Amino acid sequence: MRRVWALAARDLKLELRGRAGLLAAFFFIGVVVFILGFALGPNQAELRRAGPGVWWVALAFAGSLLASRAWALEVENDTLDDLLLTPGSREWIYWGKFLFLWALMMGVGGVTLLLVAGMFFLPLTRAPELLLTLLLGGTGYAAIAVFYAGLVVRLRARDVLLPLLVFPLVVPVVLGAVKATLGVVNGAEMAEVAFWWRLLGVFDVVYLTACSLLFPWVIEG
Amino acid sequence: MNRVASDRGLDRLTLGLLVAGFGVLAVGLYYALAAPPDVTQGYLVRIMYLHVGAAWTAYLAFFVAMGYAVAYLWKQEDRYDRLSAASAELGVIFTALTLLSGMLWGRPTWGVYWTWEPRLTTTAILFVFYIGYFLLRQAIEDPEFRAKAAAAAAILGVINVPISYMSVRWWRSLHQTQSIDLTTGRVSMDEAMLVALLVNFAAFNLLYLAFLRFKGVVSALEAQREELDG
Repeated sequence: MRRVWALAARDLKLELRGRAGLLAAFFFIGVVVFILGFALGPNQAELRRAGPGVWWVALAFAGSLLASRAWALEVENDTLDDLLLTPGSREWIYWGKFLFLWALMMGVGGVTLLLVAGMFFLPLTRAPELLLTLLLGGTGYAAIAVFYAGLVVRLRARDVLLPLLVFPLVVPVVLGAVKATLGVVNGAEMAEVAFWWRLLGVFDVVYLTACSLLFPWVIEG
Repeated sequence: MNRVASDRGLDRLTLGLLVAGFGVLAVGLYYALAAPPDVTQGYLVRIMYLHVGAAWTAYLAFFVAMGYAVAYLWKQEDRYDRLSAASAELGVIFTALTLLSGMLWGRPTWGVYWTWEPRLTTTAILFVFYIGYFLLRQAIEDPEFRAKAAAAAAILGVINVPISYMSVRWWRSLHQTQSIDLTTGRVSMDEAMLVALLVNFAAFNLLYLAFLRFKGVVSALEAQREELDG
């Protein structure tokens, strides 16, 4: 458990110090939100309807950028083998990387929410519910993305392959997250929103379990 | 299963399954064309006899691909990887058939070939995912790593299958709900139709088994040649 924290904390420290990946992600999100706002506006009601979708689309695209960051540093510095050579089971590597991506997703997701709320007139009065949606959606997304990013990190075509592999699997998560966000924003009944949260929760558990169990089998030294 | 491949070509069981599959398919087509028209859909209902069988076979193929993927990770034998890929390939083909027959049915029924409706969307996602699976296989040259990565994808991809199956219920969608509900065992259709459906169903399953063995033999030969060339 301590190793998981150490790995995630080290990666986060490096990422925050280097900033290259985070800056790229924020810049990308900014462009996506701006262009979509421009394309869908300026009618307020329409923008509000599109807002949840824009939030999650921007986050999903940026997430795959961040996911490859989780492993890129290990390859650049040739430290992946050292990591794999540490004694004991390898699941903790997955958990460490997952925690890293998850923390980034939460941070980036929060900032993106503010940006989208500003440009797409989303009411932030139910912020706790929105944050819960981000928590559940981001967890499922990170579970899948970090797994595949680790799988393809040594391949030449990784940047093309990663979205191709990740998106079909995360679509259920993104769909659920968008529906939950729409419900929260439109003031739908709690039971309806809770249905999507439950579904997201189930996805999170299934994906996290499957990925962490599979990871030691497929990661290559 | 691939031991048969070495020099004798196709084994008897594979040939037998192929013949039986096509034979039962012919009978199934007869039943499908002889079955009464539906109350609401008329003769259009006949697409269903192919559509349901193809969809079921695609689901089955993806589950079998997962089974062989688990077997590969466990035993590390190449033939499991080959069979997993073969099953996934059949799954893609049957999913394509499902989508195509569904579109032909959807045009006269719903007025459009395609609509963004949960069942259709989740099936399309399934289709795209397994295309990605083959792109992943193409991208990796090292055979051992290719097999491992593909196994992981085959295992994770199967999560989409129950989602697709349950989508008509969860999202209360435009698509018909299941005529034969696997979760409760309830059947809601006429007897003549059920017979036609089940015979076609059997035909598709037989053909699936036959093609799986056939493809296993072919890819074993391919692997042998690769070894000789390399």
